[in-house]
Amino acid sequence: MSNSTSNTPEKEHKSSYRAEERRTLSSGEEEFFFDVKTSDMEVNMGPQHPATHGVMRVLIRCDGELVTGSQVHLGYLHRCAEKIGENVEWLQYLPYTDRYDYLAAMNNNLGYSMAVEALMPGLEIPRRAVLLRTINVELNRIASHLVAYGTYGLDIGAITPFLYAFREREWIQALFEKICGARLTYSYIRIGGVFNDAPPGWLKEVGHFCDVFEEKWKEYRDLLALNHIFIKRTAHVGVIPKDMAIDFGLTGPMLRGSGVDFDLRRDMPYMAYGEAYEAGAFKVPVGSGEKGELGDSWDRFYVRVEEMMESIKLVRWCLGVIEDGPIIGEIPKVIKVPAGEAYVGIENPRGELGHYVHSDGGKVAVRCRVRGPSFTNIAVVEELMPGTLLADSVAIIGSTDIVIGETDR
Amino acid sequence: MIQEQAGAVLGHPVHPDSNVFVRILEWLPLPEIIPGWVVTFGGVMLGMSIFLAVMSVLVMFCVWMERKVSGHIQCRTGPMYAGGWHGWAQSLADGVKLLLKEDMIPKDADRTLFWIAPAIVLGSIFGAMVAFPLSYDWWFGRMDLGVFAILALSSTTTIGVVMAGWASASKWSLYGAMREAAQVVAYEIPLGLSLLAPLFVLGTFSLTEASAMQSGWFGMKWAIFTNPFLIPAFLIYVVSALAETKRAPFDLPEAESELVAGFMTEYSGIRWSFFFFEEYAAMLLMSVLGAFFWFGGFESPLTGALRASGMEDTSLVFSLVCFGTVLFKGFVGIFLMMWLRWTLPRVRIDQVMTMGYKYLTPLALFCVLGAASWEALQHLIFS
Amino acid sequence: MELQAIHDTLKAAGVAGLLGCDEPRPANKKEKDPGRAGMPFLLVDPAEIVPLLTACRDEPRLQFDLLIDLTASDPAADGDDLWVLIQLLSLKYRHRLAIKAHLPKSALSIASATAVYRAANWHERECSEMFGITFEGHPDPRKILLPDDWKGFPLRKDYEFPTEYHGISCE
Repeated sequence: MSNSTSNTPEKEHKSSYRAEERRTLSSGEEEFFFDVKTSDMEVNMGPQHPATHGVMRVLIRCDGELVTGSQVHLGYLHRCAEKIGENVEWLQYLPYTDRYDYLAAMNNNLGYSMAVEALMPGLEIPRRAVLLRTINVELNRIASHLVAYGTYGLDIGAITPFLYAFREREWIQALFEKICGARLTYSYIRIGGVFNDAPPGWLKEVGHFCDVFEEKWKEYRDLLALNHIFIKRTAHVGVIPKDMAIDFGLTGPMLRGSGVDFDLRRDMPYMAYGEAYEAGAFKVPVGSGEKGELGDSWDRFYVRVEEMMESIKLVRWCLGVIEDGPIIGEIPKVIKVPAGEAYVGIENPRGELGHYVHSDGGKVAVRCRVRGPSFTNIAVVEELMPGTLLADSVAIIGSTDIVIGETDR
Repeated sequence: MIQEQAGAVLGHPVHPDSNVFVRILEWLPLPEIIPGWVVTFGGVMLGMSIFLAVMSVLVMFCVWMERKVSGHIQCRTGPMYAGGWHGWAQSLADGVKLLLKEDMIPKDADRTLFWIAPAIVLGSIFGAMVAFPLSYDWWFGRMDLGVFAILALSSTTTIGVVMAGWASASKWSLYGAMREAAQVVAYEIPLGLSLLAPLFVLGTFSLTEASAMQSGWFGMKWAIFTNPFLIPAFLIYVVSALAETKRAPFDLPEAESELVAGFMTEYSGIRWSFFFFEEYAAMLLMSVLGAFFWFGGFESPLTGALRASGMEDTSLVFSLVCFGTVLFKGFVGIFLMMWLRWTLPRVRIDQVMTMGYKYLTPLALFCVLGAASWEALQHLIFS
Repeated sequence: MELQAIHDTLKAAGVAGLLGCDEPRPANKKEKDPGRAGMPFLLVDPAEIVPLLTACRDEPRLQFDLLIDLTASDPAADGDDLWVLIQLLSLKYRHRLAIKAHLPKSALSIASATAVYRAANWHERECSEMFGITFEGHPDPRKILLPDDWKGFPLRKDYEFPTEYHGISCE
């Protein structure tokens, strides 16, 4: 791998034992000084590390506990998703989409399906399919944010909230298993609709889940998000100012945590979100700097915690309006997408997941580009880490909520 | 003389003349040929083996308790299988497994320091535990300066930890060792100062005498009830003890999600189990020390009742009751430590150091002064 | 804003290099036109990419402040074309802009957009390692997803898969 000097400018840090800071005393002499000749240590937060959320290598140069430079090395989980997209048929590519952001597979399926459907203007997606898609996507958002919540607690040192969060996540995964047979990589949302209707009693169980989760949510918020030690560890840490967030192309909770009020579900609506927002079904939580500075790690974390609640409200709204009907549009068995190019971006739990598809009218795509939000979001870490302590780097990386499958594709 | 004072409180001298194990051997009808020094030596050996056995069992019980407590806090059950009833033999099974593991030493590691470090760590903590008496009659080392010995020897473990971090030839282990050294040294001060407050009240360094001094009021004349400044002193003691034993929320030296396992990263098998043992032994020690100096040690209403009914302090039943009482108090403290570990996140190292030096030390000094003034005032008013 | 309006705004702002709009059109059997589905693209000259992006970002009626994606596409194995694709998003006006710039395979060089959007940094690194495009002025042109010693440009249609890598067979 490449040379380990960082290319980001070193933030100034004061150290009082460097020869360059030798002072001249009032008597005119130079201060007697014993230069201990310390040098910066390079630590490898290696591909295997409990806190890097996957296989990612972060080279950290530090002066004791103070980080002076950092460099992120990716590619350990690169599985050539885009190249595969050019070699398999349209529907065969769907399971590959599950696997980049494996914590929010429904969202990936939706993004890809919507991009392909943008090339098929005559295709109409039935109402029930739209609502089922929305319900499942929001449940998956809750599941993904539960992982973000639990693992961020783990990174900071609180081990118990992780287990509590996974209780609810297991329930969501059981719901998904009932509807499509898989717990993690669903391939449920297909081109034209969804592939399986909700089994009898499923919608009722989702409603029951919403009721139970609302109470648990208050517990989770009080246990971790409002815990004093947690706030001390995450407030004022990794502050991303508004203009820096926009310049780096951040999206999702990273952007909203810095105070930018933008959510694709509300501002560029797709599926049932426009209708839901008109009906007042959900709000968009935005960071407000209440515990520290605007744009710090606590803000980003709290945006995710609040988004879980908003997703519950959305699911409830969808349950209220859903009716019986077909679940998939008129799609041939072997899909031949009309020639054209389209880009569709949707709101993943991590940010904007974009799919660009280019078809030449055949069975296989010409180009299938995936714009993963984690890839863009992690770039800001190299800028944030210098000047913080080593324990803070873990807090910063955890607050970006990346999934390496999406970073590397 | 404090010994006379303690003896006056109890009604008899606090320490019997010799160790109970020596007395057992002397009581046995051994042939006259065996010289006296052999019997004494035998007594000492017997004492040591019983000491190691008792302490090991207590620590293994602590480990099992940690796993059950953490399991139930996390809505799961913990060990249920090993040995049958709630996995009581899990610690034993783990010990056997660790013994059978491959002993790996990293290529660049300093081999001598690598194997010395766990020995120092475990040896220090066992040395400190010698000062822990099981009852008025059952003690392993007669220590008139018990607290000194405990504090001094439990601090020596830091040398072993720093050695382990350095010898592992891994930067992450070095981080753990450096954090440990800084943290432990920082919290020695509030620990010692907060212990100084009950020392003023009880007037003795010895654990048995401290317990004896708290035997009034039908066994409830615990130090914490006699002096209001001992309450903040106890809170400072709890925080410092957590930092000394590297328990959450101060478990930065072995921060699992940052440093993999801190200074213990490169250790495996039985070497690792030494560090693990030391952690729980230190927890036990700190907890029991707190029980002796604030919460009466051996004394409880049960001992008060037994004493009132005429039972002798050196009788078997009384000793058992004393042992049970102090263990119970110790385990309540340990339960509290475990509860805190599984609830609270980790505090960052600079925040740990700030708290230790800037807040706890002045507060501890204030408690010491307050406790001493309170005692002096009591003497002035009531004598 | 519709693409034509964006195009006109940019033209009025004095941006050079605008080569027209590629709008979707329905199939026309009479003219043997298979049609084009999907979304509109703005075609630009790669030599003028940086002033164009600066205008997109700064123009008060456009304000495309987020660079969403910067990638490339190689449509045909035997062709000479490589297209650089850029997606922009405006937070204020909530519109998107998709830009396409054509590069011949013989001269794969384009100015780096990092001066305009810092988000372009990593996207350009990935694009250059996958397609072999040189982004001039890029502050850190290292490989990002591939190992440093990887040969070839994987996302090109004429890429040949290696048979082995460091002694590991890739069959």
